[in-house]
Amino acid sequence: MDIETVEQRAGPRQFGPSDELPEEYRRAATRMIQFHANSEVMGGYLDKEFTRHAPSLDRKLANTAKVQDEIGHAQLLYRAAETLGVKTREEMLDELANGEGKFLNCFHYPVDSWYEAPMIDFFVDGGAMRRQATLKRTSWTPYAHAMDKICFEEGFHVKHGESILRELMTSSKAVQERVQETFEEWWPRILQFFGPTNDESHHDEFAQRVGLKTVSNDELRNSFLNMYVPKAEKYGLEIPEYPRIFERDDGTMAVREEDLDWEEFWTIAKNDYEGSHEQIGSRRRRQEAVEWVRQAMDSWDTTAESAPQAAD
Amino acid sequence: MIWEVFRQEEPGDYHQHVGNVHAPDREMAKQFAQIQHARRMQTNSLWVVPQSEIGEVTAEEASFGGETDKSYRWAMTYNDIDASFAEEVAESEEEQREAAEKRTEVNS
Ligand SMILES: [Fe+2]
Ligand SMILES: [Fe+2]
Repeated sequence: MDIETVEQRAGPRQFGPSDELPEEYRRAATRMIQFHANSEVMGGYLDKEFTRHAPSLDRKLANTAKVQDEIGHAQLLYRAAETLGVKTREEMLDELANGEGKFLNCFHYPVDSWYEAPMIDFFVDGGAMRRQATLKRTSWTPYAHAMDKICFEEGFHVKHGESILRELMTSSKAVQERVQETFEEWWPRILQFFGPTNDESHHDEFAQRVGLKTVSNDELRNSFLNMYVPKAEKYGLEIPEYPRIFERDDGTMAVREEDLDWEEFWTIAKNDYEGSHEQIGSRRRRQEAVEWVRQAMDSWDTTAESAPQAAD
Repeated sequence: MIWEVFRQEEPGDYHQHVGNVHAPDREMAKQFAQIQHARRMQTNSLWVVPQSEIGEVTAEEASFGGETDKSYRWAMTYNDIDASFAEEVAESEEEQREAAEKRTEVNS
């Protein structure tokens, strides 16, 4: 198939491993899915930090379940990416460990308090869920199938995240103030989650033409603002004056892009931010620390009497 | 030799198990699968897999999802939160509710 045919046929779940697709399509799809898979890993690593901060056993359990889900999402996505025949799972994991692999901006900021949990679990997961729901209609079938299962699970993450926010915002005044402070720190990062709107990158334009992506960053951020700004306000959070949010003629919301720190964003995009080094480094060190588990798995004696137990 | 057959109706659908065929080799299995499972049913693609290559684990030997209360991992548990503000969250919750209902029906 040549690019013209791909563009003509582009539609939800149109292409799969049995189609012969041009290199350009397979590379673009790999880039996109690998980024997504990396983000699930790094999001899971960041989120696991909240388990020890969580104030109750229920919250701790829910948090570990969420982390387990995210790592599972990464596994599904690396498989979906691998089906394109451009990179192996091993190569993608190596790239993530050595700092080449790219991932979402929000996961480049180390966290160390429970007040940050709803920023990630409600707002970031909520934003991710917006995007992921649209990817059920991507043209690469294995990617769409991974989305079916991921979206099935994500409802729990977002609702649990909102439940944390609600709990915090209905407790003492001091707690509410801490949440507000934390929100002000995170809000611009959350707005940048969808990337720059005006100059949709070259990659994005191609991804839309061949049906890999079905909705633009701009539309996604808009719908996110329309849904999540009222939510924040409902719980008594005050939207910071900057970056300015405004209403467009059609009633949808948008953000003044010049109010956001794009230098930081692009440094992050290159994995060159302080936080990037910290997050990538701490994950790599943890991977090294559990090397013995992987080795034990590799040399698993299949004649062993006890059957392996699934982590349920 | 027995081959399990999976049929995909339309591009983008999942391949679903539809039965099996007797065949001496992969080529014949593909032929027989076409005849038996794709002659009338709408088909975009067929997979044939040697039965001996399939691994199985059943509810008798494993307790799927574990035995302890794991309600904390279901969206419905957080019922003081209204998911209807975002259709994708509401949809996810609905799918989870259906799955949970099926589980309890089977287990009871
Ligand atoms: Fe996820
Ligand atoms: Fe999630």
